[in-house]
Parts: sequence; structure tokens; C-alpha cells
Amino acid sequence: MMHAVVDSLAMIGVSYVMGFLFYGFYRQLNARIQRRWGPSIWQNFFDNMKFFFKSETLSHGPMFFFGPMIIMAGAFTTVLFVPFLKDSTWLQGFSQYGNLILIIYLLVVGPLGNALAVGSSGNPFGVMGVTRGLTRLMGLEVPFFLGLALVMLQHETSSVHAIMAAQDGLANWGIVTNPVAFVVILLPFIAAQNASPFDVVGAPVEVYAGPRVEFGGRLLGVLMTQNMMMSIAKLVLVVDLFLGGASNVLVLIAKAFSLFLLTTAISMVFPRLKTEQAVDFFWKVPLGIGVLAVILTVWLPSWSA
Amino acid sequence: MSAMLRLLFFVVSLSPTLLLVTWDGSLSWALIDGIRLHLTLTPLAGFFLTLLALAAPLVALPMLRRPCDWPSLVLYVLLLLGMQLLLLAGDFVSFFVGWEVMTWSSYLLLLRSSRADMETSQSFILFNLASAFLLLAGILVFFSLTGDFAIRSLAEPSLPQALTLLALFGLAFLIKVGTLPLHIWIPSSYDQAPDAFSAFLSGSVSKMGVYGLILLPTLFPDALASFAGRFLNGPAFGYLLAWVGVITSVVATFKAISQEDMKRLLAYSSIAQVGYITTAVGVGSSLAIAGALYLALVHTLVKVLLFISVAGIVLQTGQRQFKDLGRLIERMPISFFGVLIGIIGLAGMPPLPGFAAKYLVFVSLVDARWLLLLAAMILASTAAFIYCYKLIYAPFLGHANSPGAKEAREAPWPYLVPQVILMGLLVLFGLFPGLAIDVLIDPVLVGLQMAPIGAESWAKLTTVYGGYDGVVLMLVFGIAFVLVTGLFLLLRGRMRRAGSPYDLSFAGEVPTADTPLHYGAGMGRELRRIPLVGWILRQGTRGFYLGLAGQMRAAAALLGNLYVGRPQAWILIAVVVLAASLAARAMMGGL
Repeated sequence: MMHAVVDSLAMIGVSYVMGFLFYGFYRQLNARIQRRWGPSIWQNFFDNMKFFFKSETLSHGPMFFFGPMIIMAGAFTTVLFVPFLKDSTWLQGFSQYGNLILIIYLLVVGPLGNALAVGSSGNPFGVMGVTRGLTRLMGLEVPFFLGLALVMLQHETSSVHAIMAAQDGLANWGIVTNPVAFVVILLPFIAAQNASPFDVVGAPVEVYAGPRVEFGGRLLGVLMTQNMMMSIAKLVLVVDLFLGGASNVLVLIAKAFSLFLLTTAISMVFPRLKTEQAVDFFWKVPLGIGVLAVILTVWLPSWSA
Repeated sequence: MSAMLRLLFFVVSLSPTLLLVTWDGSLSWALIDGIRLHLTLTPLAGFFLTLLALAAPLVALPMLRRPCDWPSLVLYVLLLLGMQLLLLAGDFVSFFVGWEVMTWSSYLLLLRSSRADMETSQSFILFNLASAFLLLAGILVFFSLTGDFAIRSLAEPSLPQALTLLALFGLAFLIKVGTLPLHIWIPSSYDQAPDAFSAFLSGSVSKMGVYGLILLPTLFPDALASFAGRFLNGPAFGYLLAWVGVITSVVATFKAISQEDMKRLLAYSSIAQVGYITTAVGVGSSLAIAGALYLALVHTLVKVLLFISVAGIVLQTGQRQFKDLGRLIERMPISFFGVLIGIIGLAGMPPLPGFAAKYLVFVSLVDARWLLLLAAMILASTAAFIYCYKLIYAPFLGHANSPGAKEAREAPWPYLVPQVILMGLLVLFGLFPGLAIDVLIDPVLVGLQMAPIGAESWAKLTTVYGGYDGVVLMLVFGIAFVLVTGLFLLLRGRMRRAGSPYDLSFAGEVPTADTPLHYGAGMGRELRRIPLVGWILRQGTRGFYLGLAGQMRAAAALLGNLYVGRPQAWILIAVVVLAASLAARAMMGGL
């Protein structure tokens, strides 16, 4: 019991610290590419704290208040159901009670709860943002899930622990044994991270037609925190599935960071897509690769056998 | 007198429950010589009888509200009895009688609505009669093969025989289930039926088609597996059925998003949900059948809940279009929670049981290696989030858009009691995903001679592909929610309620009461810009049916040419045919 409590707090702490440092680094890197100095790497932490200590927060009723609470609780739950380390009793949370499909669905619980708050605010532009978000989700989830299904099929389980345990040694990493699945999930994963070029839902210039339009003060702080933590949970999940998991925190940070660098590099090069362009892209390119992968790795072997 | 009658009606609506509790053994008697009628309760029928027992009294409550429509009550009783006969039937004669009673009583109930128009009622009865006649034809073929009406497996049918039976029965049940392109009677009839009865149509009557679909493979024990061989790790014949189901789900989901009427949206969502069930039946493994039954259970609970909530909204506001509602969360809070729990179950979000059901189906698809089907199913089930959001945003959030919505009060208690009970059941099954497996689904699987799923404990759903623990999940989420809210309130600073509903960040403008601020009608319209979705929404089955009608007319005209209006010609034809047939028999040595 005590172990579970300490472990949960540690996971939440690790994901929060990793979250603001990764995003701080992102802002630095982005600035340097655009030939600016950029803020310090701690800036995200300062911003987050500033929001949390605002003296006044505007609310539009009870549901508006509970939405960010649901999204935060959803972020905590997601983090606690993703195993951070393998072969360790620490940083496991409650992951042995869950599975990959559950985690994918948990990623969506919070944002849907927050969508209620956005609707409750009575701002039509916020709701428009939610619809954009749900539309993008509909686009990205199809190839993303297909890629994960290829992994589940490869290991014949939906347990993240079992998938991690099967990847001992570099030669058995998912990215080596099942590279097509990684290619299939990579771009939808960037969209799931709400990163450019698929960031029309929350991009700074789109705030006025985005889900966050009515939120300010401490509630915006909550939204920012959960976003950083969710991003880390997703990064760790992909590390678990494709990069062999991690046996200690330093390895975890290194692997997650290299994955983050890869996605960031892609993000920085491409201009933002409209929602319908993004969805159409997901259904043509990543899904197309996914269908090819299914034909090559599932259909052909069964026919030749 | 009236009170006595209403009490009696309510007791009759409990009859499926009584039947479930008291029935043991079986009844059997001779109808005419050689043909025996047989009533028995198989585990599969018992499962669907449980669903009926759950839904019947809960739908009866809102129907009992004064002023009640007595003919509707009588028809409802008849419908219930017909469905019970259908489920108890051990022979095809009683099955068919039950099916017909169900068809006709639900048709007459549909007509009791003042909104039912000619086109809707005609398409309802046309499709349902087509279903019944296909069933009858199938039964006659079955009788010609076995010489008996008892529902049991055929001993080694030849391929054409089995195919004929499959086509006749399959079409009959698929019409009832409403897969594409046989669905067109559903949206308008669910929409125009009396509000409380729509809940029963969607929740229970459509399940009889599912019952038939699951019953069908038991007629030919290894038919699905041996017909066209196997595709990857599942039956090739089922692969077709599964695609029919998934395409139904995808198309119906996008249609649901584009609806502007609450009940039509729910009707299309029913089609989509039953499409998932069809897919799972197509996979046919024990995991998949468990998933199909679980989906049927969840769909019954969720759709009865949602249709009753919506009926309450329509009753209190007089509005059914999304654009005319809004902001009911403050006026109808219990209905809000009803719809909220309903859409969480409908979307298959954890921790409610919709997730457990979808999990079983997903895993069964991975197990069968049918990944493209899985991807298509994910498309439908993610797109469903959009209409779920529309269903809660447009009536309950945003701004009130009509006088009815501005002055509405909470629905009366006959509408609220069923909602609260159903919410409780959904949360219970969500906490204990193994409960439904252990108590309801495993007995059916054993009865169908399949491997049971098994539940380590009621809190856990366990499959060979892993599982999850509902209690831990709910506890973690609940504790996280309480902690987050508590910590938030402990922080320095205060919350201030916005001065007016128009106190919004509105692109630098200050909106007034005349500014259109409700997004209820337009939501989802922009989806048409996605090429695939736009293409799907432009298609319709109307053209297909108009073409079919045209062909029928042409065929009738061709036949009509034979009739030239002179009786002599007809007599001549008759004589020629008689002579020819006599000659033919004589030549073959028959005479």
C-alpha cells in the first residue's frame, strides 16, 4: 500500500519534471532554428507556476470547473497505467492492472471531460476547437491503432509488460523487429502529441478558435500541466513498445529524449495543416503504409504457409 | 379502475423477469400429427430474455404516465408476449408466430404516434414483412430438409442447401438488425415512434435480430468454418459478414454525426452499434461471441437510457432539433447525468462496460488477424466521439435557443427512475467487468459449446491477450479526481463566476443575446470537407431502392404484355401448357 502511494507520487513527479524540461528544451531549440535567443529551459516551469498562483480565475459554472479536474485526473490515471521501467518494482504504478488498449482509451478520457467544460463555457469558438480536436483524433487514431495492433499481433498480447519483456537486447527492440509498425505510428504519434504540423487545435495563433479560449488563471495552469504529463506518458509508451523499455530512469530519459528529438525535428520542418488536410493525410499515407504492412506481414505469410 | 389497470400493466411488463426466474424444464405438445411444438429456454435465449427483462419494465414506466394511451399499452403487452414466445421457441413454428406478433404489434405501436407518416410506416412494415417472409421461406426449406420444425443442427446439409438456408435466414435477421443497405426503415421509424417506445425498439426489438444471427450458426455446427475455408485465423464466410457489419458502422456513424434531430442521431447510432455486433458475430470465435453478447448488453442499457432521457427532454421542452435546445444542464441535471453516463457507455470509454465489450471485440479481431477490419472499426468507434459530444453539447451546454429550452423543468419521475436505475447498472458493470462475463456470458458460451472466457474475479476482465481491473481503474481515477480538486481548491486565489453568459472571449467583440452563440446545429458539418467523409455522406441507398422499384415495374410490364385482353388467348395458352405438360410426362413414361 505504502509502496503504491510512494510509487504513484514518484511517477507523477518524474513525468512532470520530464514534461517541463522537454518542453523548455523544445522552446530553446525552436528559437535557435528561427535565429532567436529563446527563453531559458526552465521557462515552462516558471510559466506553469505563474498560472497556478494567479489571484483570480474566471469560471462559467460547475461543469466548467470540473472539466479541467477531469482532464488532470485523466492525465494522472494515464501516467499511472503506463509502466515507466522494466524489471523493476518502481515506477510501475498500476500498470499490471491495465493493457495497451486501455491506455489508448485513457488518453482520450481527459480531453473528452474537458470538452464538457468547453461546451459549458458557452463560447462557440471553443466548441469549434473541440470538434476540430475530435476530427483530428478520428484521423490519427486509425493508423495509430493499426500500428499498435501490428505490435499486439507480433507479441500476441496487449500487455505492455509482456511486450517490453520480449525486447531484451537491441536486436529485439520493436523498432528493429517491426520497423513498419513504427513508421505507421510515427506521424499519428506526433499528432497525438499535439505537435506541428498537426497542431491546428491548440496552436498559439489558433487560440481564439481552440478549446482553451475561455480558460485562464489556475484552470489554464491545470491544462498546461496535464498536457506536459500526457506528452511524457505517450513518449514513454512508445519507448516501451518500440525502444525496448528502460531499466532505470536515466536510460528512460535518454530514450524518451531521443524519440522527442526525432518528433521535434519532423515538427519543425513542416507547416501547419488544416484539420481536414491532416485527416486526409492520415488516411492516405500512414494508413496506406499500414495496409501495405498488413498485407506483407500478415496476409502473405499466411498464404505462403 | 384506471389505477388497477396500470398496476396490471406494470406487472405484465415484469413477466420476462418472472419467466426467467420461474421457468424450468420444457413444454411440448403435438400440433398436428407428426409435428410437435416445443418450448424451452436455451442459455442463449436466456441471455436475450435477461436483456428483455431489464428493458421491459423500465420502458413501461414512462409509458404509464398520465394521460396514458390505452391501445399502446395493450399493444406493448402483446409485443412483450410475442417476444417471450420467440425466445422460448424450440421449434420454428412458435418462433415464426412470435416473430410475427412482434412485427405487427410494433408496427401498430409505431402508428400510435401522431408524428408517424405514411412513408415511414410503409417502409417499416414492408421491410419487416420482407424479413418475416424470408424467415418463413427459410423455415419451409428447413422443413423440407428435415421433415421437422424443431430448431436443431442439420445433419450434413449439402452446400446449396446450406447456402439457401443461410441466405434466407441471414437476410431475415439482417433486416431486423438493420445492416447496410437494409437499414433504411430504421432512422425514420425510430424517430417517429412514440418517444418511450423508441427506447424499446432500439434496445430490445433490434436484439431479436442479433439473437437470430447468433442462433443461425448453431443450425450448421461447422458451417461458418468449413464453407469457404478460412481466411487468416477466422472463417472466410464470417469475413464477409464482418465487413458488412463494419461498413454499416462506419457509414451509420458519419450519418449520425450529420443529423440535426436527437432521435434520428440515436437511431443511426443504433445502426452503427448493431453493426459492431454483426462484425463480432462474423469473427465467430469464443472471444468474439462474448464481445457480441457484451455489446448487446451494453447497447440495451445505453440505448434505453438515452432514448428515455431524450424522451424526457422532448416532453419538457417540446423541441427535438439540436438547434432549438441548449443550456439544459442547469434545468435538467439528472437527465444531464443520464445522457453523460449514456454517451460514455456508447463511446466505449473506460471505466464503463462499453469499453469491456469493445476490448473483447478488438482482441478477437487481433486474434483472428483481421487487422484491416480492426482499423475500420476503430474509425467508426472514434468518429462516434463526435456524435456523442454533439448529443451532450447541443441539448445541455452552450446557450438556450428556444423559449421551451429556457423554461424547461426536470423530467417527471417516471422518466427519471429508469434513468437512475440504468446509470447504476452501467456503473456496476463498469466496476465489475467480470460480473457480466461470469453470470451472463459464460453460460451462453458453454451452451454454444465454446470455450468460456472465465473471470478470475468479478473486478477483472481476463483474456489470453491480457485484461484489466475495473475496480482498480475506477479507484485510481476517483482518487486522482478528488486529490486534484482538493489541491486546486487549496491553492491561493479565488474563483469568480462570469458576470453574464455573454461574458466571453469572442474575438474582441462583445456578444449580445442576439448573437448566434449555440453551435448545436452546425457541429459536424465541416467534416464533409474530408474527401472520404464527404463522399460517404453524399451516397444514399435511396437510388438503389428506386432502381430496384424501376426494375420491378419493368418486370411487371413484361408480364403484363402476356395479358392481351382476349380471353380466347388465355384459354389457348392454358390448353397448350396442359397439353405440353401431359406430353412431357407421357414421354418420360409417367402416365
